[in-house]
Parts: sequence; C-alpha cells; structure tokens
Amino acid sequence: MVVFVLLAVSAGICVGLSRQVNGRLALSGSPMQASFWNHIVGFGALTLVGLIVGGLLPPAEADIPVWAWFGGPIGVVFVASGSWLIARIGAANTALLVIAGQMVTGVVLDMITGAPGNLLPRVAGVVLILCGMALTNRRPGQKRP
Amino acid sequence: MPTDTPIAEPSSDAVADATPAPRTTDLILAFLSGGLLTFMILLNGRLALSGGPVFASWTAHGTGTVAAILFLLVLRTRKPAAAAPGPDTPRLPAPLWAYAGGLVGAVTVMLSSITVNTALALSGTLALGLAGQVAFSVLADRFGLFGLPRRIPDRRDAAAVVLIVAGSLLIIFSGGV
Repeated sequence: MVVFVLLAVSAGICVGLSRQVNGRLALSGSPMQASFWNHIVGFGALTLVGLIVGGLLPPAEADIPVWAWFGGPIGVVFVASGSWLIARIGAANTALLVIAGQMVTGVVLDMITGAPGNLLPRVAGVVLILCGMALTNRRPGQKRP
Repeated sequence: MPTDTPIAEPSSDAVADATPAPRTTDLILAFLSGGLLTFMILLNGRLALSGGPVFASWTAHGTGTVAAILFLLVLRTRKPAAAAPGPDTPRLPAPLWAYAGGLVGAVTVMLSSITVNTALALSGTLALGLAGQVAFSVLADRFGLFGLPRRIPDRRDAAAVVLIVAGSLLIIFSGGV
C-alpha cells in the first residue's frame, strides 16, 4: 500500500515536473512549440509502451463517439497554456489555479448532470477554493517580500 | 531597503528573479485552463472506457500532435533565434532535457492508471497527486528549478495554498470530480 501511495504522489510530481520542463522549452520557442514536442515525444514513448505491453488498439467492436477523439486537441491547448502561464505567474500559482478550475467545473458539471452524492461539502469546497483564489489575486504592483 | 535582491547564484539560464504580482487576467486564464482539463479528462476517459488507458493516452497524444501542427501552421510562429546564441540573445537555446516533458507525461499516465485500480481508487489517486503536484510546484518556485524564474512564497501565498488544497480535498472526498 505504501508503494501505491508513493506512486500516486509521484504521478502528481510528474504533472508539475512536465509543466516545468515544457515551460522551459517554451522560453526558447513558443508555448505551442513546447506543446507540439510534448505530444510527439509522448506519442513515441507510448507507442513503445503499447508495442511492449499491448493495448495500443481498441477491440474491434468498440463503439467510440466522435466527440471522444477531441481530448488530444484540447490537451494541446492545455499544455500550451500551462507552458505560457508558468513563466508568468509561477509554478505554484499555475498548479493551484488549474486545480481550482478543474474542481469547480467538475462540481458544476456534477450539479448539471445531477450526479448522486452530498452537495453541501462540494459547495463548501468551491467556496474555500474561491477564497484562496481571491488571496492569490493581489493588487497590481503590490510588492512581494 | 532593496526589495527584489537576487539571492545566491542564479542558475545559468534563469530568466529573472523579480517576482511581480500575477496579473488578474493570467489568473483567470489559468482557472479556465483547469476547466479545459476537466473536459479533456472526460473525453480521454471515454476513449479509455472503450480501449483501455494505453490506447486512450496514445490516441490523445497522436491527435494532439496533429492538432499542434495545425495550430503552428495557423499561428506561423517565428523561428526561435537558434543561430548565434550570445549574452544578448533574447531567446536561449533549449537544453536537451527540455524536450522530455512528453516522456514525463507518459509516465504520469502509467502511474495513475496503476493506482486508480488499487485501494486508493480515484479519490485517493487525485488527492495524493494533488499533494505531490503542489509540493513540487512550491519547491520549483522557491529554487527556480529547470531554468524558470525563482519566486519566493510569502504568508499570503501559503494561505492560498492551504485554502485551495483544503477545498479540493473536500470536493474529492465528497465524491465530486
């Protein structure tokens, strides 16, 4: 179990690490170029993984809706925006606001689709997140120590 | 008393040590990109439902590569000043490791697809991943890791971290997301 906890924490570290590395690459080119390299290198690595462990192709009877294929293009915009933001607002602010946006849209989607579960703690969570974001938003020109 | 004193040795390709307050529009953009992430996970999750995690991530990286090429063609981005690097060159050439972001991303997919299928489940995977990501980002800012600007967090930043992390954990463990 301890091993899996470490693996899960490592997955989060990897999210931060790849944003940091892509952010550095964007400094030498553009955020969209960084996103391109991120995706083509990842594609190569996953091709190798798939050839070794299998699972590269779906079962023939798989019925995949058209909209499901657009996760990749959305990811390209996401990686490019992260690579652009990290040099401007810092790694921690980028991570926290991306998490905030992810959580709030998740809760809103759940409310729209009427997902089961207790709503109160989720709304409380959104309020806490919004308070944290308000703290992050300083007056322009405010000096940091 | 000087306010933005550079501390110790800046790493060779660090850009600047000054840490101005983030612009509100940038913060809003970051928040909106988090919303994009929700939809990306929803769509890729649908791919994984039909074909498994390797197929889903492989496909997303493939369609993403095509989309990035199209975006680059439309944007017609200027070529970076790779030739004649010097002290006055605005854009420093990227070190080789800067191209490894995609490798790290591929590892992320594998790690999280392992842990969601253990007792940690989705909520445990998300919560621990969030902890790892925030801890790494704070350290990365503090020391200016990987050639990005250094940013020293203050008490206000620390309070924002606590509030956003606490709110997220509350949502994750009440079955949202």
